[in-house]
Amino acid sequence: MKQLTISVCLASTLAAAPLMAADANNPEAQPADYRAQWHSDILTGYQNLEARSQTLAAQAETYCKTPSSEGFEQTQRAWRDAFLAWQRVRFVNFGPVKRGNLDWQFQFWPDSKNLVARKAKFLLKGNTAITPETITESGVAVQGFPMAEYLLYDQDFNKSDKALPAEHACQLLIRVTDHIANNGETVANAWGDFQKNYVENDQYTDLTIRAAMAGIELLEERRLAQPMGLRGTGKRSVYSADAWRSGASLIAADATIQGLQQQFMPAFSRLLKDHEQADLARRIAEQLDEAHAKFPELDRPMGPLLTNDEEFRAMQSLYVHVSQANVLLSDQAAAALGIVRGFNSTDGD
Amino acid sequence: MKTLFRPAPLALIIAAALSASCANAALSDSTAAQSATKASVVEHYADLAHAGYEDALITARALDKATDRLIANPTEANMKAAKEAWLAARVPYQQTEAFRFGNAIVDDWEGQLNAWPLDEGLIDYVEADDYQYELGNAGATANIIDSKNINIGGETLDVQNLTPELLAGLNEIGGSEANVATGYHAVEFLLWGQDLHGFELGNGDRPVSDYATGADCTNGHCDRRGDYMDAVTDLLVSDLKWMVAQWAPGASDNYRSQLMNADAGEGVQKMLFGMGTLSLGELAGQRMKVALEANSYEDEHDCFSDNTHNSHYYNGLGIQNVYTGNYRRINGDLVSGPSLSDLVEQSNPELNARLSSQLSASMKALSALKAMAESSQNPMPFDMMIAPGNAKGASIVNRAIMALVEQTGSIEQATRQLGLETLSPDEAGDSF
Repeated sequence: MKQLTISVCLASTLAAAPLMAADANNPEAQPADYRAQWHSDILTGYQNLEARSQTLAAQAETYCKTPSSEGFEQTQRAWRDAFLAWQRVRFVNFGPVKRGNLDWQFQFWPDSKNLVARKAKFLLKGNTAITPETITESGVAVQGFPMAEYLLYDQDFNKSDKALPAEHACQLLIRVTDHIANNGETVANAWGDFQKNYVENDQYTDLTIRAAMAGIELLEERRLAQPMGLRGTGKRSVYSADAWRSGASLIAADATIQGLQQQFMPAFSRLLKDHEQADLARRIAEQLDEAHAKFPELDRPMGPLLTNDEEFRAMQSLYVHVSQANVLLSDQAAAALGIVRGFNSTDGD
Repeated sequence: MKTLFRPAPLALIIAAALSASCANAALSDSTAAQSATKASVVEHYADLAHAGYEDALITARALDKATDRLIANPTEANMKAAKEAWLAARVPYQQTEAFRFGNAIVDDWEGQLNAWPLDEGLIDYVEADDYQYELGNAGATANIIDSKNINIGGETLDVQNLTPELLAGLNEIGGSEANVATGYHAVEFLLWGQDLHGFELGNGDRPVSDYATGADCTNGHCDRRGDYMDAVTDLLVSDLKWMVAQWAPGASDNYRSQLMNADAGEGVQKMLFGMGTLSLGELAGQRMKVALEANSYEDEHDCFSDNTHNSHYYNGLGIQNVYTGNYRRINGDLVSGPSLSDLVEQSNPELNARLSSQLSASMKALSALKAMAESSQNPMPFDMMIAPGNAKGASIVNRAIMALVEQTGSIEQATRQLGLETLSPDEAGDSF
């Protein structure tokens, strides 16, 4: 069992936290109401992921049956749609998506040692048939969007004689996209079944807010600042970004911002307002809107933007809004709501 | 510098406070538990760190001598002795990693000693077909030993004289964290060489003739390889000397004096932050879970020597040491004194009993991992445990991960119990 989520008991130490009780100023608002809305908004996100993943799997199969350059491009588009659907719910880091490490299966990242390419080469080396079991047994670097992205976008690979639509590559693409589609279905169903548990347990308010905080901090620090050379060694490198092969790093950032806008903010704004933090709610929403407003103009591969200072500035402006939203959410809102930060899995280096 | 980074994409979020089924409070009769104060606990913590770094220094000096002998006289026996000295040096050093997070002075310094994973092609020859380096790392195949000048990202560097200073300056060259020219893992690579066995049994098998002179020299540039080894082990010793001095008692201008002059609560926070961060994010997450879930021996900590199980085991022990206030020195002496355990016992004996037993459970799980790796009958080192389809190996690794995750929940609780935040002490707006 690859299961890291630990069972969470109703923590007595958290019982006194302000989020646990109905707000004195607004006795009508019950914390469960926020969670009911979150549950439903996130469910929409997972259902979208499920649908897009199924389209991707079906498209991969169609393309491999009758390969054409048009079909190849359609498959690339289907990959992108499904990947962006994942980016919208990527911030949810608790609940069903942790069972069996589905989140790592959808996207193993960062991959600084280029494990995805290494695993692909290994799987495509011989002529052994690639079965669903091959995917299940091959680890998270094989099981998700980055592997499908490698097959569809990697420039070196696409020049080789093993490239799509070669039989073996097709087999791998079909199995991987099937695996993604199955996981999409699993997580959407499990999130639906999770409703009662989620809505009835107060601790999930805190966990949901902490998830959004972690999601936006990941976006700021690792998905933007790191490749932009604004942290770490200071080197600009597109390889530190996610989805650099497909040039979707920035549009994926936008998808995460939209996910927060659509699946997190509605209930959260209400919660903040009920805690007399309407202004803070407005300011967070504003920063997310500003960040999203950079698109579709910024829907471009990140690589070239890193080498041109003029263009880099456009990206910097996106970064500034994301980092403002992060400060407002992770520092100000967390402090106002008494949310205590704990140790996290990416602590360390 | 490696910046501390908090929140959680991989989310092993801990919300744990297991209120039910808790162990009964341990009977504490020790007067230490009653008399420990935050100040005395922090002072003893500095003693633990000092003893740990002293042991790391002693064993690094032995390693330096052993590698000197190997360079002067490259025999199988001297190679074996040098490898044994390296393994012995890891025992105290890995325990000191519990001091790393929380004390910026350690975290900013340690990259030169223990950075990983490294793109070893920066240092010496590698098998081209089986060498996966960090994407975009212009230095990944520079091969310093084979070159008088190296060119990294358009910048040409003179590497003719392999001095400790030169090597220190080459770390992270070209802006890549995988360019690790120094430290334990550089020495490890120079002793063992690349592990080309993948998930199969076996570690790196560098021939001792890589250090031979004249026509016996294999793989070229044996003299430069020896120079490199000499410089890198000298640097390790001088780096450790510096850190020992930072924790030494009786000085007025070192890190210890700063720590002792600051608010004792800050010191206690550093202790707990160091324990929790090493336990969850670093050891359970980066060093175990990533390698396991991706079946990636590239993410193995001591990948050349296959000593990863010991690195993990002594990390775990280091965490336990900080909590219990006990440290068994390499000469067998026991350092003990006022501890975090004593402090928690004063206000919440039940929590102290639980965390103490969770720390023991982690050590038990890590012992099982170590025993399996070192089994004389059928050894299964870490890189075999993480192989695809190895259910038995995965379960051993997972048990250790779970135990570390659980103890981190209690470390968090202990932090709150003592009236502190789990934030990084350096980011909590404190003065120092």
